[in-house]
Amino acid sequence: MLKILIPTLMLFPTIWFSPAKWLWTTSIAQSLVIALASLSWLKWSSETGWSSSNLYLATDPLSTPLLVLTCWLLPLMVLASQNHISPEPLNRQRTYISLLVSLQMFLILAFGATEIIMFYIMFEATLLPTLIIITRWGNQTERLNAGTYFLFYTLAGSLPLLVALLLLQNDSGTLSMFTLQYTQPMHLLTWGNKLWWAACLLAFLVKMPVYGVHLWLPKAHVEAPIAGSMILAAVLLKLGGYGMMRMMVMLDPLTKELAYPFIVLALWGIIMTGSICLRQTDLKSLIAYSSVGHMGLVAGGILIQTPWGFTGAIILMIAHGLASSALFCLANTSYERTHSRTMLLARGMQMILPLMTTWWFVASLANLALPPLPNLMGELMIITSMFNWSHWTLLLTGLGTLITASYSLYLFLMTQRGPLPSHIIALEPTHTREHLLITLHLIPIILLILKPELMWGWCF
Amino acid sequence: MTYIVSLFLLGLVLGLVAVASNPAPYFAALGLVVAAGVGCGVLVGYGGSFLSLVLFLIYLGGMLVVFAYSAALAAEPFPESWGDRSVLGYVVVYTVGVMLVAGWFWSGWYETSWVVVDEFKEFSVLRGDTSGVALMYSYGGGMLIVCAWVLLLTLFVVLELTRGLSRGALRAV
Amino acid sequence: MNPYVLTILLSSLGLGTILTFASSHWLLAWMGLEINTLAIIPIMAQQSHPRAIEATTKYFLTQATAAAMILFASTTNAWLVGEWEIHQLSHPLATTTVMLALALKLGLAPVHFWLPEVLQGLELTTGLILSTWQKLAPFALMIQVAPTINSSLLIAMGLLSTLVGGWGGLNQTQLRKILAYSSIAHLGWMVLILQYAPSLTLLSLFLYIIMTSSAFLTLKTNNSLTINTLATSWTKSPTLAALTALVLLSLGGLPPLSGFMPKWLILQELTKQGLPLSATLAAMTALLSLYFYLRLCYAMTLTIYPNTLTATAPWRLNFTLITLPLSIITILALGLLPLTPAVTTLLTL
Repeated sequence: MLKILIPTLMLFPTIWFSPAKWLWTTSIAQSLVIALASLSWLKWSSETGWSSSNLYLATDPLSTPLLVLTCWLLPLMVLASQNHISPEPLNRQRTYISLLVSLQMFLILAFGATEIIMFYIMFEATLLPTLIIITRWGNQTERLNAGTYFLFYTLAGSLPLLVALLLLQNDSGTLSMFTLQYTQPMHLLTWGNKLWWAACLLAFLVKMPVYGVHLWLPKAHVEAPIAGSMILAAVLLKLGGYGMMRMMVMLDPLTKELAYPFIVLALWGIIMTGSICLRQTDLKSLIAYSSVGHMGLVAGGILIQTPWGFTGAIILMIAHGLASSALFCLANTSYERTHSRTMLLARGMQMILPLMTTWWFVASLANLALPPLPNLMGELMIITSMFNWSHWTLLLTGLGTLITASYSLYLFLMTQRGPLPSHIIALEPTHTREHLLITLHLIPIILLILKPELMWGWCF
Repeated sequence: MTYIVSLFLLGLVLGLVAVASNPAPYFAALGLVVAAGVGCGVLVGYGGSFLSLVLFLIYLGGMLVVFAYSAALAAEPFPESWGDRSVLGYVVVYTVGVMLVAGWFWSGWYETSWVVVDEFKEFSVLRGDTSGVALMYSYGGGMLIVCAWVLLLTLFVVLELTRGLSRGALRAV
Repeated sequence: MNPYVLTILLSSLGLGTILTFASSHWLLAWMGLEINTLAIIPIMAQQSHPRAIEATTKYFLTQATAAAMILFASTTNAWLVGEWEIHQLSHPLATTTVMLALALKLGLAPVHFWLPEVLQGLELTTGLILSTWQKLAPFALMIQVAPTINSSLLIAMGLLSTLVGGWGGLNQTQLRKILAYSSIAHLGWMVLILQYAPSLTLLSLFLYIIMTSSAFLTLKTNNSLTINTLATSWTKSPTLAALTALVLLSLGGLPPLSGFMPKWLILQELTKQGLPLSATLAAMTALLSLYFYLRLCYAMTLTIYPNTLTATAPWRLNFTLITLPLSIITILALGLLPLTPAVTTLLTL
């Protein structure tokens, strides 16, 4: 663990002491090296699942894919922000990259924590850099509103979680993930216990977000700069899913009945957000709502608590992380050229940026879960296990898949095909940096087709 | 004797009502004099003649000069006395309040609340309140030094607060 | 003000608090409180501005009332129980009165109304003294009498304070009033835990003092009293502006900063004592406070004011203020959370 954490910490001196000319190059290079080194986590040695270097930080098959994803995202975020941050004063550029790095630190500590309270603190700690990234480097004035929504939705959900965790510690005497799963199942009968159950899950359901408490997410995505959108879609939402999977072990006897409304809400959310996407005019907002839909599927898969459900959820989280991050990058390339998120104003891009169209095509296909891609694998596993739980869910999930395909197609057609609007006369050509950025997103998705057991979680 | 003490107590209440009902400073000072003097009388009635003497001499002799001086500085052309409407309202409210509270606690409050200051005066050489003062000097010497320091401090505080009339300080008048 | 007089006043300010710390007798404790009040009054009124005079008068009246109540309560206790010791305050009438008097002295919720008004009238340095040093003596007394006070009174006051502190600050544009409401909210947290873990009360008092000193010193450095002047402060000192946002969020209690430490420990203690509902309520009211801290952050750091500062003088002149205390205290206000075990050990010695 430290062999990743210390180089990440050492990124701060790199950022603050490297000369201005080499700032972006060195930070990208070092973070990429860290990302490559993090791949060594994928080689599990122990049969018990946990491989730990000390008592507080450990990795297991559930957290490893998310950890690697976190490390992988940092160079990509730095790469993506380079164009719109580099005109700023030097100190602000350094602050910006430092914020991204601190976010990675907190995320590694959150995913690697073995103590639930430490996970909680790091979960909350990620709010701060994200908030600053959104509200300081966003573009419109609505970013302040978005930041407030982001902070208060998450905190209002997670403060009851803190109290619930402290109660759990009183009852069981420990909050360590190693031992907690071997404690006696609790007798949870009273109303207070049911509230405790809700408090344990609410924070993560807000963070995911499940439909109904999702309003902060589209705002945050739309207003955030590209790096903020990327990390939000790729990793921060997954904190919710990860936390839910960790907590599920402890909530056992109650979840069976109490989870019904949440499952229904999550599945209904797929339909609703998909329908919203179909009528969306704002590019980033569309991608954000599609994230809510996918996360609804993940939440459903986790809440029914079957091995297939969990596996599908983790696979979908990783695949969606890469695909939606790629889509946000693509949206940003178009935004940097046309300075508008409105899809109507930037159509027919195939005519002028054909290679970009290829990337759009692949990313849209990944979003709609085309057969060999891991997205399909995750969705299929979740849909199957949901079907096994109740046949009627097929109506919702099947319709959801259909709608997902439709809006992904709509997204692709609206931006890439059709006539070129006459006001677009002088677009910058694409840069190698942008192609590299998208490639680095898409390569892992494609390679994961060949070895999906890396992200199967516990059930490989 | 009981009647005199009761009269004093009544006077004490009336004096306090006279101060608290917020009349012009002259009359308030007058009420204060009445309350203080009558209070000393109450103390004498219960045997604390030394303390009441000290209080009467120092309080009325020293402090009231200052009071009279400040009240004279605050002279108004039309001072409000207890007959005026605003003051009369307060007088009525306080008097009724005192009567209500007295009625509420009418039975049984005086058995426990009043103790004669110096119970065994027939057997002792010194008066109890005098020896209490001596005790304070012998045991609370440090506290007395602090009290002296506080007097100095109060002097500075008052001077500092009333200084700089032209700059709009908290004014004496 | 004459430096000799200032020396006398400041040393008496210290003397009053120390007398209260050192006393075991109610009379001496009361005297310490009164010396404290007397000594700060000329310092408050030194500006000779009508607002300052008004604030001074209000402060004097509330503090005198509170001190008189303490004297009354301790005399009553001595009369009924026959004991002048601070620890021996046992009659319910006396304990409740003392608690209310101390709450009035500190500015706790049902009797908090003077605090924003008074703080608004003061200069920032005096305001800093008022919201840090002046809290110590009443807290020393409160910790001593806490075991005999009715616990539902304490919890009700604590919850009400956190609620009022969060709620009242929402509508303010004046920084000193906002800081006053933040003080009320923090005091609520301290009172909430007073009976269960007095060492945690001390811990949160110290952390509050550190964080609020940092905030006051920053405002002093930037010379800003309203949100509007705060918005242009980044031109004077960008680094300070960036750090102040974090200090404010630390006051709000966001996790990686040290402001989270007292909140975490207090919530833990409350749940351990079987009061999860109070814990949840207190945690949720902290969100209200967080909202106005966040608004200050927005104004100060997270948006750039469209025009630059019109007054060119402040950043052309050499900076003469001593900034070492500010920098030390800012670092403490941001980074103490990893040191939680050390800090708790130090305070439970």
